[in-house]
Amino acid sequence: MRRLVLIAVPYIWLLALFLVPFIIVLKISLSDIALAIPPYTPTLDLSGGWSAIRDFFGALDFENFVFLTTDDLYWRAYLSSLRIAAISTLITLAIGYPIAYAMARSAPEWRPTLLMLVILPFWTSFLIRVYSWMGILSSEGVLNQFLIGIGLIDTPLQILSTNIAVYIGIVYTYLPFMILPIYATLEKMDESLLEAAEDLGCSRLSAFWLVTIPLSKGGIIAGCFLVFIPAIGEFVIPSLLGGSDTLMIGKVLWEEFFSNRDWPVASAVAIVLLLILIVPIVLFQRNEQKAREAEG
Amino acid sequence: MSQTVFAPWENPEEKPLIEFRNVTKRFGSFTAIDDLSLDIYAREFFALLGPSGCGKTTMMRMLAGFENATEGQILLSGQNIGPIPPNRRAVNMMFQSYALFPHLSVWENIAFGLKRESKDKEAISARVEEMLRLTRLTKFAKRKPHQISGGQRQRVALARSLAKAPKLLLLDEPLGALDRKLREETQFELMDIQEKTGTTFVIVTHDQEEAMTVASRVAVMDEGKLIQVATPDVIYEAPNSVYVADFIGDVNLIEGRGTTEGERIRLDWAEGQPPIWATPRGPVDTDRALTFAIRPEKVSIAKDKPEDRRNLLEGEVIDIAYLGNISTYHVKIAGGQIIKAQTANTRRLANRDITWEDRVWLSFTETSGVLLEH
Repeated sequence: MRRLVLIAVPYIWLLALFLVPFIIVLKISLSDIALAIPPYTPTLDLSGGWSAIRDFFGALDFENFVFLTTDDLYWRAYLSSLRIAAISTLITLAIGYPIAYAMARSAPEWRPTLLMLVILPFWTSFLIRVYSWMGILSSEGVLNQFLIGIGLIDTPLQILSTNIAVYIGIVYTYLPFMILPIYATLEKMDESLLEAAEDLGCSRLSAFWLVTIPLSKGGIIAGCFLVFIPAIGEFVIPSLLGGSDTLMIGKVLWEEFFSNRDWPVASAVAIVLLLILIVPIVLFQRNEQKAREAEG
Repeated sequence: MSQTVFAPWENPEEKPLIEFRNVTKRFGSFTAIDDLSLDIYAREFFALLGPSGCGKTTMMRMLAGFENATEGQILLSGQNIGPIPPNRRAVNMMFQSYALFPHLSVWENIAFGLKRESKDKEAISARVEEMLRLTRLTKFAKRKPHQISGGQRQRVALARSLAKAPKLLLLDEPLGALDRKLREETQFELMDIQEKTGTTFVIVTHDQEEAMTVASRVAVMDEGKLIQVATPDVIYEAPNSVYVADFIGDVNLIEGRGTTEGERIRLDWAEGQPPIWATPRGPVDTDRALTFAIRPEKVSIAKDKPEDRRNLLEGEVIDIAYLGNISTYHVKIAGGQIIKAQTANTRRLANRDITWEDRVWLSFTETSGVLLEH
């Protein structure tokens, strides 16, 4: 009985905070737009009895999902989101891995401080940090003034409101999520493995490729998913740092909801986004499970 | 075919495989190895023995190439190996933690070193199979290191380090992680493999029994210096210092003042007590403080006073350590010193006549102990 209660707690949590909202969104995505409050139809009226419920279900259809395929804006936004997320993930990995490696190789008494520094940005609001990037990247921003000041450029670079600014924002925001899992795997690694590899004829570099990289694979995969998954649906960064040509599904979603007030289509966009995200999430879960099995 | 004793260190013609020439190694202000010279010969099973922090692991790491000597040279087959990085040395090491690659199977672990130097798949595969047979691991070739037992992991580590047929194999506390029974079996297995492959083994250990069992010669180290380098029996029977006598096995140490009387030395060790007579193996400086060292198993214990022994001590049994095959009696002699005497338990426990608080006589021959200078 006690076990049942214990197991029930996370499931009730999941039911209340994921499943119920999901069903509501799913239902809206199957509805039609209406000039009403809320702005869709049908709404469920239980007082109408059995026939009202039947009418309600009869009014639901997949029209909005079909609509998503007719306008190429949507699939282009999905593809563009995937591309931006994938490229950002690779850049984050390229920057995060050396940082994690240096942290794991640093003197043990320094490691807690370095870890703290990695987490430190979380102490400030995410929104404020993204806004401050606007201040850095804009035409009159800190970066351009500095580059003009040292004479490297004459006219300010247009970085803000381009995809480059979006990449900078995503990489900056999600870098800790890449560093931490990689650091965790590298820190656990027994250094005598590298000595053994060298002893058996590896150069330092080949020991890194043949031992360090395979042994940190779990951390790399975990880090990539932790960056990739939220980056696909990212809304704040593209809307603040990106330009009008920055196409990301999060932005499209927002516009459908708040500019067009087309909740049903927006909900359909959200449902498809969720379906797209399920694939990497399942892969991530499998990776985590494999890592646990290898340890146990 | 006559069996010749393996003792290349006694042959001045023989070229040593490894030469330490006045090697000093410092870590900052700490001197790990202090002006040390040592020759190790091909096909030897050489043990570096000492307490932790004595520098034995540093010696091994210098041979492997992970540390460089601060001063002096290390020669392998006459060539200075100082500037050669670890991956270019004909030296392989078996790590204390085994350092098996967890992401590779047993087979791939053993093949790891071979793949670095050759592309010939068939030759690699043949060599790996040979190593698997040698270490009786054929059945486990496909397993990952975490799927096999500690003893099997130890054998994988050995097979991996032997696979490249190194001139010299270094073993860092190779049996430290095994339980006692497995350790004893593995000691003989190691000796067997060393003989079969003809590789020179240098083993680092703090376990004196292990060193005595496996090694052709043992170097006892302390604070970065070699105290004694000799065969196990010499180390045991004729230690050159109190440190070695005390470090290896159990020993009774009696301090006194020696005087030469003919061939023998008379050691006055306590006032009012009969002196101890000893026949030294070599010349000993007398008229100075000396320590008489005698192993417990060379001290006889009896209830009645033996008439034919020259060295006799009377005392009282205060403790008996029963170890099954042997018993050690702790006897308090005049002056309060405890002398240990060991006897083999050839009779059942109930039949033995010496017990606590008995007055007993300890006796030993003149040649059974050694006199050590301070």
